[in-house]
Amino acid sequence: MVTKRSVSLADEVAVAVEEAARQDGVSFSAWLSSAAEKQLRVRQGLRGVAAWEGETGSLSAEEVAAGEALLARLRSGVSGVASRVRRR
Amino acid sequence: MTPTRREGLVYGVGALHAAARGDRMMWALHRAALSNGIVPLISAVAVAEGYRTEARNDRVAELLDGTHIEAFSGEAAKRSGELAARCDTSELEVIAVVELADRRNCAVVAQRQAVLRNAAALLGHDLVLYAV
Repeated sequence: MVTKRSVSLADEVAVAVEEAARQDGVSFSAWLSSAAEKQLRVRQGLRGVAAWEGETGSLSAEEVAAGEALLARLRSGVSGVASRVRRR
Repeated sequence: MTPTRREGLVYGVGALHAAARGDRMMWALHRAALSNGIVPLISAVAVAEGYRTEARNDRVAELLDGTHIEAFSGEAAKRSGELAARCDTSELEVIAVVELADRRNCAVVAQRQAVLRNAAALLGHDLVLYAV
């Protein structure tokens, strides 16, 4: 099932989306839909984190920073097993 | 050799268990991924195994809200089955993690298991693992 909507994009965004869609081998609509789906998933996921924090206590600034550092380390692609940065 | 930068994260069953037991580092990592626009991936096989073995499904569901559950497609199933045979294991949920991480160029968040390393080695995949 597909819903047709008329949307307005800034010229440079439309050009960039066209190029990205071409590179990914999908249509303009499919690319935009996928981007929107991802954004919705991020939003829903952060709500899930907030729900968990509501039950157990908010992550401290230090824990948030440790999570960011671990993510950066994993994304850097250095192989091996990342150690725990810090646990409470 | 320069390490290959990873596009994202793949969660194994261990990530679900870690979230369920309230592992704060797991949740901090998950938050960091989402805050950076990364939606972690998880194989449908790992989700099934997580729901089979974890009682705190409410917390698993909260974590899964921020993931993309990758369908176990015919092609992935064939690749995983062949890899499992080569690893001499029936732990398809572990093999599926490696197959997905290799295909989508991702780091892995899972329990430390020999089969993970064996499967990665057989695929020639340089495993980047956060052991929960």
